[in-house]
Amino acid sequence: MNFLWDNIFKKLDREQNIATILGNNILFRNLSKNELKFIENIVHIRKYRASEVIFRQNENGVGMYIIVKGKVDISVVDDILSDKSQEKDVVITRLEAGDFFGELSLVEDAGRRSATAVASEDTVLIGFFKPDLIEILERSPTTGVKVVFRLAEVLGRRLKETTEKITQLKKEIRVITEMTQQ
Amino acid sequence: MILSPQEVRQKVIKRIGLIKLLAFLLIITTAMVIVLAIPGMLGAFILAFVITFVFKPFVSFFERKGLSTTWAVSIPFLVSSVLVAGSVTLLLPILVQQISTLQAEVPKYISQVSDMTKAKSLTINTVLSQFTDIDIAEQVMSYVQKSSTEFLTTLPNAISLALSTLILAPFFAFFMLSDGRMFSKKLLAFVPNNLFELALNLHFQINRQMGGFIRARILESALVGGIVWIGFLIIGFPYAAFLALLAGVTNIIPYIGPIIGAAPAIVIAFANGYSALMIGIVIAIYVLAQVLDMLLVIPLVVAKIVNLHAVTVVVVIIIGGQIMGILGMIISIPVASIIKLIFTEFYNHIVDFRS
Repeated sequence: MNFLWDNIFKKLDREQNIATILGNNILFRNLSKNELKFIENIVHIRKYRASEVIFRQNENGVGMYIIVKGKVDISVVDDILSDKSQEKDVVITRLEAGDFFGELSLVEDAGRRSATAVASEDTVLIGFFKPDLIEILERSPTTGVKVVFRLAEVLGRRLKETTEKITQLKKEIRVITEMTQQ
Repeated sequence: MILSPQEVRQKVIKRIGLIKLLAFLLIITTAMVIVLAIPGMLGAFILAFVITFVFKPFVSFFERKGLSTTWAVSIPFLVSSVLVAGSVTLLLPILVQQISTLQAEVPKYISQVSDMTKAKSLTINTVLSQFTDIDIAEQVMSYVQKSSTEFLTTLPNAISLALSTLILAPFFAFFMLSDGRMFSKKLLAFVPNNLFELALNLHFQINRQMGGFIRARILESALVGGIVWIGFLIIGFPYAAFLALLAGVTNIIPYIGPIIGAAPAIVIAFANGYSALMIGIVIAIYVLAQVLDMLLVIPLVVAKIVNLHAVTVVVVIIIGGQIMGILGMIISIPVASIIKLIFTEFYNHIVDFRS
């Protein structure tokens, strides 16, 4: 009978794991247990092997992923080189369990992926896509609004970070320009 | 040739993707074969989809109010059962009375139509005799007799098929509404990773488009039936309820449906010897219903939903009619719009992205 109990506990553990991971994610933080259960039934669990592409840069994207297990490399095509044949992917960051990526696609209309995501080891992801968000908004608007508000917060933070980086870069360019003029 | 570990991994990933894709296609194909092979199953599924898409907004409404999925699905079914029972109780006596009167008067109409055909055929035969020796009246009467015999022999089968469809469809619809999401999710789990987002998005868009299309067609039928009923009640035309129901139901058949729906009323008007003005008013009521449908519902609702060119619509209806008869004509537009959607999405995913 042990095998039976093993399976049940494994399943329970996995379910708890998904709910915990969702609850720890900024998008679903502050949701009640029932709301998390509702979201858990909507999201998709996807498994990727090491080196498997999750999505490619410029591909149409429809949603975001949360890493349950494993690591994901985010890379962009280095197109500064004039020779197109020499273009190669440059890894800009490595994400780990609990991290999430691709959230911009949840709000973009026919948005293109701005980077390529590749599983660097065997990886399990929670996929949360635009149709899922729409389903949540239609079936449980209170939960949907909480998620959308959190999403807006995340995108706002990303925008702020980008703006700060651009401002910093502009300052550096100005300093370099002044130095070269002198 | 020795492959590098990276190449071996890529090969394994491709093989797993291919196996998943084959499993997904096998499930879809098996389901389609079963639906097409079992008599009445296709009709039951189409009707179940219609019920599902009509009830879906109500189910979402009750879910928003905090009810569980089972209750949110059960309430529309319970309410519609009461409504159907109520309308049957109220409308059935009127319909039965109108149909039985019509039944009693059918021989009169047939003989009048036959007299008219004979009278007209004399003139037509005189003209045609110069080119051919076909007797129009004889041809028409033999066709009517043959059709009536065929109709009577196929009637018992048709009734049993219709009954099984009417019983199975709500049953399927209930489970599509309560477990459909979970079923779709499990089916989508078979889609390979590289096609998953595309498949999920396609599934969502097809659902949206079909829901909108079916609701729009029902709105069209209700509009046409309603106008015919009100119009006939105002002018005091007989069998108003039955003819309105017929006009509404046949309106779902593109192009020829409105003609089939209007034909009995025009025959009745002719056979009863109504004045030319009255016949004109009867035709005008059908034309008005169609014009309002074409001016309001089709451009504002249907065209936006299916997004097909007018010529494409005509061609797909002809193809649908050739392959599956009237059912083919009814489902040709949604099927064509699904094919277009799949093609466009795949094109965007593969060709556009690669370029």
